[in-house]
Amino acid sequence: MNEQDVMSLRVRLTFATSGPLAYVSVLDLGRLWERALRRAAMPLRYSQGFNPRPKMQFAAPLPTGCGSEVEWLDIWLTEPREPAVMKAALADQCPPDLRVTEITWVPEDAPPLSEQMEAVTYRVLLRDVDVAELQAACARLLEAESILRAKRGRRRDQHYDLRHLIEMLTVTPAPEPWTVAVEMRLKAQAGATGRPDEVLNALGLADAPRRCTRTGLLLKTVTEKANL
Amino acid sequence: MIDNQKLTSNTQKPAYNSQSPILWENIEALLHQIQKPGRYVGGEFNAIHKPWETVTTRVCLAFPDLYDLGMSNFALQILYDILNRDENTLAERTYLPAPDMIAAMRQQNMPLYALESYRPVAAFDILAISTAYEQLFTNTLETLDLAGLPIRAADRDERHPLVVGGGHGAFNPEPICEFFDFFIIGEAEEVIIELVKRFPQIRGLPRETQLKALLDIKGLYIPRFYRVDITTEKTLAGITALIPEAPLPIQRRIVGTLPPTPVRQIVPNIETTHDRGVIEIQRGCTHGCRFCQAGIITRPVRERPAKEIIENVFAIAAATGYNEIGFLSLSSADHTEIETLLQTLQQQCAGLHLGFSLPSLRIDAFSVALAEGLTGSRKSGFTFAPEAATEVLRRRINKEIHTEDLLTIAEEVFQRGWRTLKLYFMIGLPGETDEDVLAIADLAHELRRIGARLGGRKTEIHVSISTFVPKPQTAFQWEALADADTIARRQALLFRNLRGRGFKVSWNKYPGTAIEALLTRGDRRLNLIIERAWQLGARFDAWDEWWNLDAWEQALAELAPGLFGSVEALQKYYMYRERSEDETFPWDHLLSGVERRFLLQDMHRSRAGEFLSDCREMCHACGILQYYANLRSPEWRCPQPGRSSKAIQPQVTGSENLP
Repeated sequence: MNEQDVMSLRVRLTFATSGPLAYVSVLDLGRLWERALRRAAMPLRYSQGFNPRPKMQFAAPLPTGCGSEVEWLDIWLTEPREPAVMKAALADQCPPDLRVTEITWVPEDAPPLSEQMEAVTYRVLLRDVDVAELQAACARLLEAESILRAKRGRRRDQHYDLRHLIEMLTVTPAPEPWTVAVEMRLKAQAGATGRPDEVLNALGLADAPRRCTRTGLLLKTVTEKANL
Repeated sequence: MIDNQKLTSNTQKPAYNSQSPILWENIEALLHQIQKPGRYVGGEFNAIHKPWETVTTRVCLAFPDLYDLGMSNFALQILYDILNRDENTLAERTYLPAPDMIAAMRQQNMPLYALESYRPVAAFDILAISTAYEQLFTNTLETLDLAGLPIRAADRDERHPLVVGGGHGAFNPEPICEFFDFFIIGEAEEVIIELVKRFPQIRGLPRETQLKALLDIKGLYIPRFYRVDITTEKTLAGITALIPEAPLPIQRRIVGTLPPTPVRQIVPNIETTHDRGVIEIQRGCTHGCRFCQAGIITRPVRERPAKEIIENVFAIAAATGYNEIGFLSLSSADHTEIETLLQTLQQQCAGLHLGFSLPSLRIDAFSVALAEGLTGSRKSGFTFAPEAATEVLRRRINKEIHTEDLLTIAEEVFQRGWRTLKLYFMIGLPGETDEDVLAIADLAHELRRIGARLGGRKTEIHVSISTFVPKPQTAFQWEALADADTIARRQALLFRNLRGRGFKVSWNKYPGTAIEALLTRGDRRLNLIIERAWQLGARFDAWDEWWNLDAWEQALAELAPGLFGSVEALQKYYMYRERSEDETFPWDHLLSGVERRFLLQDMHRSRAGEFLSDCREMCHACGILQYYANLRSPEWRCPQPGRSSKAIQPQVTGSENLP
């Protein structure tokens, strides 16, 4: 019997976001999920204490400005629910640009998704960019030994090596009205997480209009891409 | 290292026509360089997307400040719900973007758009802009301009949306009356439906004809049909209707019964100021605080029955997924069924992780008990709003709280486990002395000692100080604004005496207060000043980080000499002058239902230091029952009119005299 067929109080939701929902923060996404699950009357397990929160874990925080073709969210329930029943209950309760693609049981003792993360792939659609120049810029970036960039937030006086976080970077064709796409695979581990906008900045594309989409999550132990 | 070089070529700016929706790609192209882009994209759960062509009237509801604030404005939620229930009408929303997004949109010539269809605001039939408070006035001009509309009504015609204002700020709309086609005076729930039903009949007619055809809708004020005369002394002579159909005075509209609670409330995708479901449990307030405009212009008190509130709670929770529902009212503890309501909800909501918030609690033991039941173990902070620290001043403002009671209740608060007490005070009140202000510090110290004794050394007293602004339509409309020196001295007194561990003091900056006073008390001459200040960069007047005092000062320096001889003369005229009893106010033609006669009596009671009792106990004949007799319903908390005749007797002035 497949592990995923064992009934569990821990449930993994696979979902996609697009359009307006790409522009919410990961905190917003958590709140948005809590509300959708409450509307669907899911028996969420709440933490104890002053400010009880439902127990929920994302695989890897989705940067503001990124949609996603595949996201994982683990939630914990107080009583079991059949995945098909959950999927039906959620169908009318999600915002327009949130789509649940799969719901599975996960063993309660499985390690947190964030600990299993290896890397994340992104596709960035760009307009009005010179393709040859972009290819050259990508090549220069990949040839570099290190690319030091300032950290964000309070530690902005410190630097980190962006090059070390880039596992793959290619230029591919894009559909109209976009000119070109940049595909990248970035490390996504504790203390070593690449951000697609930092790569774009390093490519000299800080001002370029874009549509950024996360295309896959790669786990350490499992080598296949989650969405394929 | 790799140099950051620019790889993008120059983009052609897209051309926008004023009718068709803006392409998502074009909006998206701006968002990567914008703070909190979720404000500008819509896509919320419960937002209503109606097909454009299937309706006869299209309304855009605008809140001229950030999405975060506008989404928390419940009046617009009510109107959105009511309008979209009408099958021939659609309503969408728009908010003023933050300066970074405004700049990006202007750079691309992108007009302001509605969040549902992304259609330009200019494509709608009616643009309803909230005039909830004065700091929205310059933002209103920015909103119109960003929408590509001429800011002055006189420069717009039937090709442009009808621009209508409404909200508490519309009780003196004169300072902004040249930017709007008309205002809804009072509660809009019924008027707005009359308006959208009328619209198909006036579509395409010349603007002047359109507006004339609206004159028979009660509660609309259409400024262009009135003339304001100025005396040779630069004071107001009065207002005259220019055509016989224009009503004078214009009486505030009210609804006899509270409208049904919107249940499918829009759930924002990003965090907003009040991120929760809302139920208006009561409208109006009977306490009669003399500084409070809301307490006058929302009379009479109408309660929503507890049974209906409980049904609303479960319906909203199911439709939104919110884990908190806020009960909206001007004085929550006054609701006659509040205790059973909260008890019932606590029983029925056990285990549902659903919390409730009650704003505006009174300072009494009953309110402390209510709040205890509400917050459970969350002991964030308890709020008192004594407004004044001495008995004399509280009599002046009709806030009937006694210091010894306040101290007893504070003991209760700390004993029950709260660690922070928040206190709201006003300074610059009529008749205030430096001693009254020092008493605020003394009271705070006294409360801190009680807190330290009962709650330990970590207890904190937060003191929030605002400066009193004499508001139109209140008993204090005859009073003056305290001048800058007085306020500076009194603020300094407070800071000197409220230093040290356990105190946190916040205050409103005086220049902002002075502009607010000017805008709230102004007349038609202010239109020019507001327009000039906006041209010079004034906007977001409620935001410390964005507001622009220089723009206001320059606008006044340019225009005040021509209007009043000097800036000082203008400020004295509008702000620093105590008014005589027969003063003609700019808002005299707008009747709230509370009569000027009553307000004037109450002003005299204030100067005589007399309390006026809560009018649930006894009617003081403010005028409401007389003007709205035909609307009276069992939900009103006015006593039976039979008793009101007694209260007209002038000797019944203070609570001491009452049975």
